[in-house]
Amino acid sequence: MYICINKVLRMHIPDSFIPLLQAAVYWLVALVFIALSLRWARAEMREEKVPLVAVLTAGIFAIQAINVPIPWGTSGHMMGAALAAIVLGSPFAAVFVLTLVLIVQGVLFGDGGITVMGANIINMGVIGGFVGFSSYKGLNRVLKNPYPAAFAAAWLSLFVAALACAVEMALAGTFPLGLGLFSMGLYHAVIGVIEGALTAIALFLISSARPDILSRESGVTA
Amino acid sequence: MERDNLLVFGVIIALVIAVAAPFIASSNPDGLESAFFGIFGAKEIHGTDLDEDAAGAAEEQVQEITGNTFSFEAPFPDYSIEGLSKMGEALAIVIGTILVLAIAFGLGKALSRPE
Repeated sequence: MYICINKVLRMHIPDSFIPLLQAAVYWLVALVFIALSLRWARAEMREEKVPLVAVLTAGIFAIQAINVPIPWGTSGHMMGAALAAIVLGSPFAAVFVLTLVLIVQGVLFGDGGITVMGANIINMGVIGGFVGFSSYKGLNRVLKNPYPAAFAAAWLSLFVAALACAVEMALAGTFPLGLGLFSMGLYHAVIGVIEGALTAIALFLISSARPDILSRESGVTA
Repeated sequence: MERDNLLVFGVIIALVIAVAAPFIASSNPDGLESAFFGIFGAKEIHGTDLDEDAAGAAEEQVQEITGNTFSFEAPFPDYSIEGLSKMGEALAIVIGTILVLAIAFGLGKALSRPE
C-alpha cells in the first residue's frame, strides 16, 4: 500500500521542505565544516588509512539503503556518523564521510534535496559526528567499555540530529515546533536503537579483526 | 586478519548489503516523512494507515508554504532504474556503493599525506 509513497520522497530533507534563502544559509554553514573536514583529511589522514575511509564510506552508503520497520507505520535506517567518527577518531571524519554519501544520494538518486543538501550535511555529518564523537569519548571514560559507550553515543547522535531537523522544519514553517519535536523525537528514539546496535556491532567486528586499524582516539584497546 | 583482507571483506559486506537492500528494506515512510504525513493529516502520528491522496496533497501544500519549487531529475530516482524492478534497485545501489567507494578512495589518496 505504500508502493506509491516509496516513489515520492524517501528520507533526508527534500527540496520542498525549506525555503531557498534558509537552505542557502545551511549550505554556507555546511561549506565551512566541509572545508574543515578537508583540512582534517590533509592533516590527519595518513595514506594507509585511505582504504579504511573508502570502505567505511561505501558501507555507510549501502546500509543507509536499508530501512528497518519500526512501530507506527514508520521505518528508519542507520546514519553512520558516530561510527565514522569513532573508528576514524575525529568528528570531521564523519563530516567527510557523510558529505560524500549525501552528495551521491542526492545527485544520482534524488534521495535528499539539492538546495537543502547543506541542511542534511549539518544534521547527519556535523551534528551526528560531533554529538556521536564527544558523547562516545565521555561515556567511554565513565563506562570503561567501548561497546555500550558506542551504543549510547550513536543513539544520542541520531536523536539530537532528528531534533535539530525538527527545529529547522519549524524555522522553515513546515512543522509546528512542538509537534515536530514530538514526532521526530518519538520515531528517532526508536530508530536510534538500530543506530546504536549497528554502531556497537560494527565497532566490535572491526576491533576484533584488526584492532590496530582503529584510531587511537577510538579508545578501543586490543 | 591481514589489513587487505579486512578491506576486501568490508567491500564484500557493503556489496551484499547493497544487493539485499531492495528486497529487505521496509517501504514504510521513514521518520521525517512519517512526521510530515502526521503533521499534514495524511497519517496519525501513532497510526499505521496512510491516506495516499492526503499524502499527495501534503507534498503540494508544503511547496506552497516554503516556496521552494526546485526540482531535479535524478538519473536513478529513488534508487530505481527505468524498466527494471527490484533487480534494478539492487543494481542502482551496487553502482552507488562502488561509486562512493571510488570517490572516497580517490579523494582520500589526493588529500592524504604519504608515509
